Amino acid sequence: MLPFLRLLRKDLESIRWPLGIISGLSAGLIVFLRFKLAGGWHEDLVGILMAAPLMFLPFWLFWQSFQSLRTEWREDTVYTLLCLPVPGWQLTLSKLCTIAAEYTVYLGVVAAANALFNPFAGEILASFPASWLLRNGFLFYLIGLSQVVSSVIFIQLAFVVSKMVGRLQGLVSLWTFFLAFWVTGRMGGLLEPLFRWIPAVPLHRLFRLDLIGRPIVSYWDAAPKISQGLIIFGFFWLTGYCLENYVEVNG
Amino acid sequence: MMNYADQAVFVEGLRKRYPGAEALRGINLQLERGQIWGLLGPNGSGKSTFLKCLVGLAQPDGGLIKIYNQEPGRQARKLIAFMPELDHLYRWMTVQGTLDFTAGFYQDWQAGRAEELLDFMRLKGEQKVGALSRGMRARLKLILALARKAPLILLDEPFSGIDPSSRERIVEGIIRQFKSEEQTMIISTHAVGSTEQLFDGVIFLDQGEVYLQGNAEDLRTEHGQSINDIFKEVFV
Repeated sequence: MLPFLRLLRKDLESIRWPLGIISGLSAGLIVFLRFKLAGGWHEDLVGILMAAPLMFLPFWLFWQSFQSLRTEWREDTVYTLLCLPVPGWQLTLSKLCTIAAEYTVYLGVVAAANALFNPFAGEILASFPASWLLRNGFLFYLIGLSQVVSSVIFIQLAFVVSKMVGRLQGLVSLWTFFLAFWVTGRMGGLLEPLFRWIPAVPLHRLFRLDLIGRPIVSYWDAAPKISQGLIIFGFFWLTGYCLENYVEVNG
Repeated sequence: MMNYADQAVFVEGLRKRYPGAEALRGINLQLERGQIWGLLGPNGSGKSTFLKCLVGLAQPDGGLIKIYNQEPGRQARKLIAFMPELDHLYRWMTVQGTLDFTAGFYQDWQAGRAEELLDFMRLKGEQKVGALSRGMRARLKLILALARKAPLILLDEPFSGIDPSSRERIVEGIIRQFKSEEQTMIISTHAVGSTEQLFDGVIFLDQGEVYLQGNAEDLRTEHGQSINDIFKEVFV
């Protein structure tokens, strides 16, 4: 486990500055807009601009997932990584955990900045019980995290497969990315009957909609997501295996 | 079944093709343990590709490789200390951070030896890798490879970027650190003159093929000239 923790520490240290800058800029934007609102800027414009950091998050994480591997090749540090006597999945898991940490920190900073300085968010927050907001905020964080994790796995697979071919690496990368999505849907559908026995999750209870007086009843069928999760786990394993055994450094 | 255990490196029919070029064309080699081998050849002769195939950083298109009786892979990597020609260091790390990072992955890492080498190479632990000159980074790369008690040490152009006046000192350092009863070393270089004294055996690579291989002393006697002169005669 120690080698993995060293990899993780290395990856976390490498994102300190970019994460600090991007989180600081986003929080700074929200504070700036708060003052501009007081200075007479139109409410709608400020509201849209204040939501920009959150809308920016998926693109930032998408880019970072790709960049975390690309940088190793571009700066030739991939020689260091691939010479290490560690399983390939530890190399990819370390980067996956780093992206998850980026998601957590960035989301935390932007949420805190919104809670403190965004008057529109303040109004919404004030109309719900604090414990309900915290619980559901955490659930939404987990849902977002699962999306981030699956996207990072697809990106890592696409990147690693592209490094197994000598030519047209960009095209191979794109093609693998979309193919992985398609396979996840198709194969997930095939495996789904195996998980039909799992009861549907009552969302209205999970999100405690009763506490805010909403008489909504909603169930979430977990079987498709579990089968797709298995396929995605398979892709994660495949990426690590290919990285360890078939990938080449630049010629 | 053949037993490769007596050899540090056993290579048979090794082929490697890159788009538009055949880098290795059926290399056959058996390198005994406990020796320093010079892998000599001009640029583009396949030296780096050969070393990358041994480590598993390049995938051969054919042939067999055994490193201490193991195929290239995770287990074999535990046995190999590889110094690539390219700068493979994290520039944002400090020198000490780089040593600590590497130390965490190898059981054969010798902290005392690393300290000694750091001093010998005149580097300071707190220096940022990104702020080091090319020559200093080359020295750090050498420390990373030599601080391990790895059975097989592969150095790809280890003196590239190091000024000629320091080379002799470093060559002496390598000889001093080398444990012939436990280690085997392959040094790839095209700067033969300053490194010749290191080699017990030499392999001349030309256009992806072994042109000449043998004991360095025997070749000197046989040709009546130094390895450097033989190199010039063959390649210049």
